[in-house]
Amino acid sequence: MDLTTTVAIDEENSVARVALAGALNTDTAPAFELRLQDVLNRGYQLTVLDMKDLDYISSAGLRVIFKAAKQTKNDGRKLAAANRKPHIDKVFDILKALPDMAVFANEQELDDYLDSMQRKLRDE
Amino acid sequence: MLLTLALVLIMGGGMALDYHFSREEILKRLAEEARIEIGVAINDTENWLRGVQATTQLLGRVLERTDYSEDGLQQVLRDVVANNDEIFGAAIALNPSLSDNPEGFAPYYYLDNGVASYANLASEQANYQAQPWYTAPVKAGRPLWSEPYFDTGGGDVLMTTYSFPVYRITDTGERSLYAVVTADVTLEDLQRVVGQLHLGESSYSLLFSREGLVMSSRNRASVMKHYSQMAYKGVDLDSWHALFGHALGGERVTAEFPCPEDTGRCTIRMGRLESTGWPIGVVYSQREILAPLHRYEIKTALLGLGTLLLMSLAVYLLTSRLTRPLQQLSIASEHVARGELDVPLPQAQGDDEVSRLVRSFSSMNRELKTYIQDLETATANRSRLEGELNAARDIQMSMLPGGGEVMWQAGGVNLWAQVLPAKTVGGDLYTYFRDGNQLLLAVGDVSDKGVPAALFMARSISFIQQLAGNDVPPDAAMARLNNALERDNQSCMFVTLFLGILDLDSGELCFASAGHTAPSLLRQGQAQSIVQDTGPALGLAADQVYPRNTLQLSGGDRLAIFTDGIDEAFNADARMYGVERANEELLANAGLPLEACGHALIASVNKHTGDQPQSDDITLMLLEYTASDGRSGSHSFTTGAGLTSRIEAWLQPLLRGWAVPADLVTEFTLVAEELATNVHKYAALAPDEQLIVTLALQANTLALEIRDPGKPFDPLSEGHRSTLGADIDSAEIGGLGVHLVTRLTDRQSYRREGNHNVLRVEKDIPHPDCGSPLEPPKN
Repeated sequence: MDLTTTVAIDEENSVARVALAGALNTDTAPAFELRLQDVLNRGYQLTVLDMKDLDYISSAGLRVIFKAAKQTKNDGRKLAAANRKPHIDKVFDILKALPDMAVFANEQELDDYLDSMQRKLRDE
Repeated sequence: MLLTLALVLIMGGGMALDYHFSREEILKRLAEEARIEIGVAINDTENWLRGVQATTQLLGRVLERTDYSEDGLQQVLRDVVANNDEIFGAAIALNPSLSDNPEGFAPYYYLDNGVASYANLASEQANYQAQPWYTAPVKAGRPLWSEPYFDTGGGDVLMTTYSFPVYRITDTGERSLYAVVTADVTLEDLQRVVGQLHLGESSYSLLFSREGLVMSSRNRASVMKHYSQMAYKGVDLDSWHALFGHALGGERVTAEFPCPEDTGRCTIRMGRLESTGWPIGVVYSQREILAPLHRYEIKTALLGLGTLLLMSLAVYLLTSRLTRPLQQLSIASEHVARGELDVPLPQAQGDDEVSRLVRSFSSMNRELKTYIQDLETATANRSRLEGELNAARDIQMSMLPGGGEVMWQAGGVNLWAQVLPAKTVGGDLYTYFRDGNQLLLAVGDVSDKGVPAALFMARSISFIQQLAGNDVPPDAAMARLNNALERDNQSCMFVTLFLGILDLDSGELCFASAGHTAPSLLRQGQAQSIVQDTGPALGLAADQVYPRNTLQLSGGDRLAIFTDGIDEAFNADARMYGVERANEELLANAGLPLEACGHALIASVNKHTGDQPQSDDITLMLLEYTASDGRSGSHSFTTGAGLTSRIEAWLQPLLRGWAVPADLVTEFTLVAEELATNVHKYAALAPDEQLIVTLALQANTLALEIRDPGKPFDPLSEGHRSTLGADIDSAEIGGLGVHLVTRLTDRQSYRREGNHNVLRVEKDIPHPDCGSPLEPPKN
């Protein structure tokens, strides 16, 4: 199975949405790593990995996400995962992955989070 | 070339010898010529001087007897000077005691610009009585030549004087000096006479007085000097002394010294003039003397060279005329060796060896051309035949399911079969077809091999295929086939055949054999040939009866049906491979998937025959029967790009086909990927090595086995697990994957089997709600 990656940028809020569709495995991980790295290098405050259409993830794929999480944390920015399917969730869970990562169960949670961020900015 | 060289050597040697002898002859002759020339020159000089002496003496003798008046004496004197070219001046110096004049009487005539002029030497200035030319002969009492001197009395020239004392016998009989008669010779005249003595261009003569004054030399400046003052390069004073001393003593001496003017050697030869006692010498350059010899040498060398060149040319022309056809032949043969048979050959003229060779070569070339044309035709025919045979092979293989090798799976049964003809086409066959829950299997072997067997095989297989859908038991079907094949079988070809029908549900195999080798059964760690009743081979006689055999298969059984190409494969020692060996091999590879097991058996047979050509067609069909509730599948993968996708593409349809729940399909795909990735990373497989993935579902347990021929590696113990939730950097390679595998499966085990790593994981499929979610799919 292939992986399709779609990137949407919200410049106003400095948010990058990276939507993954398909399988993130040994075959597809190297290309995805380059793509994600490209997005991260643009320096958005928040990068959200939208896993709504991600059907499959293996340790090779998780490694890419680990690396991204570590990098954004060091830069004082954030990486978040949203809309994980149950079996993807299970894999994350097994590996106790992403302790420092914000996780949104669905679109609503993500929107709430973005709203709160905007409010915070307005208040400042 | 060698010939030319040899001739050059011989001729060169002869000429060198000739030159050697000629050279000696010439040298001898040159020496003789030099001796004669010197002798002649010296004689001339001697004669010239003797002439002067004789004239003087004659005058003296006359005066001994005759009295002249003073005028008369002058007259005589003038005549002497005027009439003798060689005499420059002459004087009659009277004994002063006989003269009236106290100063004596000494008339002197000398040549002044060719005119005889008079001078009186009886003057106070001239004082002839004190002059050496007067005193010395008187003192000696005999005629003498004076040392050279510069005359100031009359001629004012360099001269030497011959003095002759004239004595008269007095009345008393005493001998008293009457006068001294002299004749002067200028050194210039002397030099002219002596100058005739030379040998060669730059040669010159030397004349010395008895006391060593130079009277004649090429260098005017040296004249009147003592020889010891002459500047002579290369001749030291001692040598001069020795030379001069010997010459003065009347010896002939020779010395060599470097030429003053050029680089060669010069020779000086000295002797003595007998008339005057003066040492005389000649200096000459050896090179000039030897110039004729050198000219001869150069001439000889040029002649020799010219001769050699002409001879070489002649030899070359002659030999090349002889060898040109050979060279052309040699070049032509190189062309022929490259396959250019139309190369022109040299003309064969005459009847010599070369011409005969050319004719033979030409004849050989023609025959070679014919031969090659025949060969080309034959080769073209053969390759056309081969092409046809290859096409025939393709057609024949297309008659077999899978085109010669097939892997087939259906509910409860895995089947693999392969046929390997000994020649391009063969007489072995296999086929199978499914009819509902009935699976028909056939493996046959037509007598003989090659094209006849292939044609009969085609006939056989078409008859077998006609059985499809007829629902005839194998024994009856066999009898029917026999009759069909026997009809119009003039050539008495026959075929041995195994024909079986397997009930996929019950596992009951019903079969008949027409003289075919008994199949082998691998069951519970044992492999042996099954006992069968067999009828005669098909096609020989009509209306035969074929017994029916029955074999009940149970889960995990493997059945091998083969032709005698396997058990009757001979090695170089004419030993058969044998059924026992085949059974052992089946047993040894029981752990391998069906396809790998079959390849291993055929490889073993090939190893047995070694370099021997395959003697008979080989056919092997392996059948694996799994229990009806069990499922399994196996596939080989090369590592490398897209491994995950290839595994996924094979695994997921299989699992879905077994109605495994979707989340488990995903999880097992993940497990398979992680394990295969580990093998790819650590087993270091060669590009052509494969890893074999086996998936089995038995009684609600899903088992995945990965087998690879890589270096030993147990990911369960050697793959260090990373601390969960820890920093990415601290995670060991492979750690995450192993974590996932251990968490997603219930049991994991690793073992090393021979050269293979075998990793097996099992997962129990939970079914809390319904009795069996894994209802076998309808076939």
